[in-house]
Amino acid sequence: MTDATTIAQSTSVQPEGFRAKLPSGWGTAATVAAAWIVLIVASGIHRPDFLSHQTVLAVSFTMAIVGILAVAQALVGMSGAILDLSQPTALILSAAVVAWLLECGVPVPVVAIAGILVGAAWGIANATIIVFGKLNPIIVTLATNFIGGAVMFLIFQNAQAPLKSGFSDFGRSYFLGLPNIWWPMAVLVLLAGYLVPRTRYGRHMIAVGGNRFAAQARGISLRKTRFAVFGISGAIVGAAGILFAASNGPFAPAVGSTYQLPVIAGVILAGVSLAGGRGSIWLILLSVGFLSTVPTSLVFFGFSSNWQAVFQGLILIVAVAIDGFRAKRLQR
Amino acid sequence: MRMTLRRTLATMTPALLALAIAGASAGPAAAFKLGMAVGGDTCCDWMKAQGDVAAALAKQRGWDYVELSNNADPAIATKNADIFIQDKVDAVIEFNGRSEVNPVLAAKFAAAKIPVVTYDISQKGFYFVGIDNQAAGIAGGEALGEIAKAKWNCQPDLVLSSEGAGAGIVNTWRTGGMRDGLKKVCPDIPAEKWISFEGNGQAVVALPAARDVLAAHPDAKKILVVGLNDGGVLGALQAAEQLGRADDIIGWGQDGSFITGNNVDPHLAGSVFYFLEGYAVYALRDVIDKIAAGSPPPVKDDAGDPASRVQPCPVSAAEAAKIPGTADRVKALLAAPAGTTEYDLFCPKKS
Amino acid sequence: MTVETSTANTSGFDRQHLRDLATGSVTSIAVTLIAVIVVGLSWVGPNFVQASNITIIGTFVAVPMLVAAFAGFALLGGVVDLSIGSMVGFSSCLCATLLGWGWPLATAIPVTLVACMAFGAINATAVVIFGADTIAATLGMLVALRGVCYLMAQPTGSLTAFDTNFYTFTNLTVGPLPLLFVIALAVIVIAAFIVTRTRLGRHVQAAGGDDRAATRAGISVTRVRFGALLLSALGAGIGGILYVGQLGSASNLTGTGLEFQVYAAMMIGGYSILRGGVGNPIGAALGLLVVAGTSNILDVQAISPYFTNIIVGLLLLAAVLLDRLRGGDAYE
Repeated sequence: MTDATTIAQSTSVQPEGFRAKLPSGWGTAATVAAAWIVLIVASGIHRPDFLSHQTVLAVSFTMAIVGILAVAQALVGMSGAILDLSQPTALILSAAVVAWLLECGVPVPVVAIAGILVGAAWGIANATIIVFGKLNPIIVTLATNFIGGAVMFLIFQNAQAPLKSGFSDFGRSYFLGLPNIWWPMAVLVLLAGYLVPRTRYGRHMIAVGGNRFAAQARGISLRKTRFAVFGISGAIVGAAGILFAASNGPFAPAVGSTYQLPVIAGVILAGVSLAGGRGSIWLILLSVGFLSTVPTSLVFFGFSSNWQAVFQGLILIVAVAIDGFRAKRLQR
Repeated sequence: MRMTLRRTLATMTPALLALAIAGASAGPAAAFKLGMAVGGDTCCDWMKAQGDVAAALAKQRGWDYVELSNNADPAIATKNADIFIQDKVDAVIEFNGRSEVNPVLAAKFAAAKIPVVTYDISQKGFYFVGIDNQAAGIAGGEALGEIAKAKWNCQPDLVLSSEGAGAGIVNTWRTGGMRDGLKKVCPDIPAEKWISFEGNGQAVVALPAARDVLAAHPDAKKILVVGLNDGGVLGALQAAEQLGRADDIIGWGQDGSFITGNNVDPHLAGSVFYFLEGYAVYALRDVIDKIAAGSPPPVKDDAGDPASRVQPCPVSAAEAAKIPGTADRVKALLAAPAGTTEYDLFCPKKS
Repeated sequence: MTVETSTANTSGFDRQHLRDLATGSVTSIAVTLIAVIVVGLSWVGPNFVQASNITIIGTFVAVPMLVAAFAGFALLGGVVDLSIGSMVGFSSCLCATLLGWGWPLATAIPVTLVACMAFGAINATAVVIFGADTIAATLGMLVALRGVCYLMAQPTGSLTAFDTNFYTFTNLTVGPLPLLFVIALAVIVIAAFIVTRTRLGRHVQAAGGDDRAATRAGISVTRVRFGALLLSALGAGIGGILYVGQLGSASNLTGTGLEFQVYAAMMIGGYSILRGGVGNPIGAALGLLVVAGTSNILDVQAISPYFTNIIVGLLLLAAVLLDRLRGGDAYE
């Protein structure tokens, strides 16, 4: 009995060593939702004016950009490429191009397409190095992030979209009580979450992430999948760049790195396995929502910015510890 | 193993030949060599421009110029000092934001007998060239205070301070100085209305932090903003705009980075220019030219009694509209006669 | 059948196989280092290897090398400790604070180390006992500890702690080599010995390479990884204390980016973040020297500092590519 199962297990799976034991599904959703509710209730008890439209706005503005970047990162993770560490550079690159084109008077729809294409091009450039160099995506994206940031700094030190424009007004206005920029994020999460398990390409991506040798044996082209994943993920980051430019003031090339930790945290908390093959994109709404509420709550509790960092870090540790524990119990 | 050894020897032989040739063709006697360690923080365009201006001025004088970046890192600042010493530079300009490591740098340079000019951050033994950051802060705070007095009778609902702890002592001087200046004009603002948040001196970082603070004070309508620099203050202004509360928010910045051009936030009432990119004019005119000529001036290392004083230039947004952006200022500066400072060229109200 | 072969050949097969792997990647990075030295000699001239320049390179690389020696055990064991940079900062700030309160060095050092290991234990508990994702958990610790640094360094952001004896000691040189560099090198050699020739080292490699097989072979993967994370924290703690000596101070930013410097060097030196079980501390040391040597060439030749980042990024890519070409991990 033991021999058969051990042999079966050892042939069927996953990259060894480093494994995220987070099954997607109701368990994770329940944990994150519970944590979020507890946070809101506790903050509301401590200060009733926490439950106000202002708080909702503050949280959802943060959610907007982080959420879109998290979708892009989730795709990369689910496909087995672990992490795209060059998101900060791609975000600012796209935002800078958008700002520059707007300054030149190019109409907004064209600018939007350009932003998305810039992101996609960046993703494909990464994929080229990864696929033809057969190098691991973490190192490649680490290096391209570094190089891209340095090149950008030589070209510009600050960029900003024109303030007195419909574009910037869009970035700070609302629709149905939530920021304009929040809605594209929500739509993207719902759409991506729906499409990935239900389209052939989505299923190929998950198969490659789960066990690339088995996927290859089934005839799935690893190369095409990688290009598709990084291209689409890059396009999504490009879209984030457009919304970023619409809602942020002057930005320097290196400033995209402030999103890196919240995005990775949001992705992991949503149950996306960095080793590939698992994850639910819809959960990103929950995880990013929760993580975006934390800093606001902490301010209501009276903690200074420095204490916020301490708490945010500890919350992440506790959250993944709880999740890991649940996954372990389920595996028994 | 033997293969590697053979291969190594094979590669090294032509290299040794190359360097023998290089050695034989050594140049003429060395010119005056100026070293500059730029701050290396990627926040602001004047950081890079400081080096560019120094390089251009050194080139005009036919000097050798070596530029390294301190990368906002004390270990790298120390390494750069060692490299300057090894390179036998004749003088060094330091913009070292990590002032805690300055005593170590001072000891090294003193032992090597290399004179050092420091921008804005004083260190015993270094020639001080720059502004008094604290005085600049106070000037900005007072200007904002005057506006608050006129509009709201010195009764704002909230005074936000956009801090940048990564800037070390400069943050304490500038942001703290702005609060002091504000208190001078409006002494009766109660303590609980003063809220600080960490904005890292950048709009993109200050924005979410300020958003949270504003959400936590939902009833505050009349809001004043001070901070480490224009970027930090802008983040708070934009946060208010995003939360729909920008009707009565007024900010006053520092360093003038974002108050020129046609993209100025309407709620930034003013800023204080130091024209940081043009500091090299002061440094060379008052200190380094004299060292190069063989008669070094006495070392004045205190911000109150500096080797070369840079005047801060407080401006309202309206006045700033006539001032060109950094790139254009640098061009004009380099085309101007030697010794002209940006303060001479651009400050609308000279005191 | 599977079980028998693995227990019978654990000692023989693993040691041989792993020694080959280690030597392979070490040779590759050694060749890169020799190339860097050759470029240095031909471009900079004999001054490249003058005593003062060697001291400069050695001083800069000493603390990262020491931290890498300890953190390498975690990578080898299949866990990643991303918090080492912030841990170095925390250790610096704590030690500087204690010295500032008048504590003698002899008490400040052990207390600081214990505190670091306490935080290391939090990492280890979350990752090993609870099964949290190692990247997420240590990322959380990275953020949390950086917040603690900011809190400790308030309000000016820096803590002066100039102890004359300590400063003199950390700046001693043995010939042209800084004493700290010699110590770090000795630690690397000891670590390499442990990894390649002791049973403990083999256990760590086994735990990282295939944790299921290791458990079947009777190795307590839990204990190995817990210990590795504690060790990583200890190494960072020692590094932070040495920085206080070297720089006579600590700041809220001390150690920022150190994890990048160390892990990039380790990756080009043959370690893998994707999986444990591979890597030799000597490879890590050589990787650090390659990057430091290249930066030094660029510094001494007065290449614009903004180009340095670009070149270092390209170097990272080139070194990994080279390693892959000589037969290292290929990522499909």
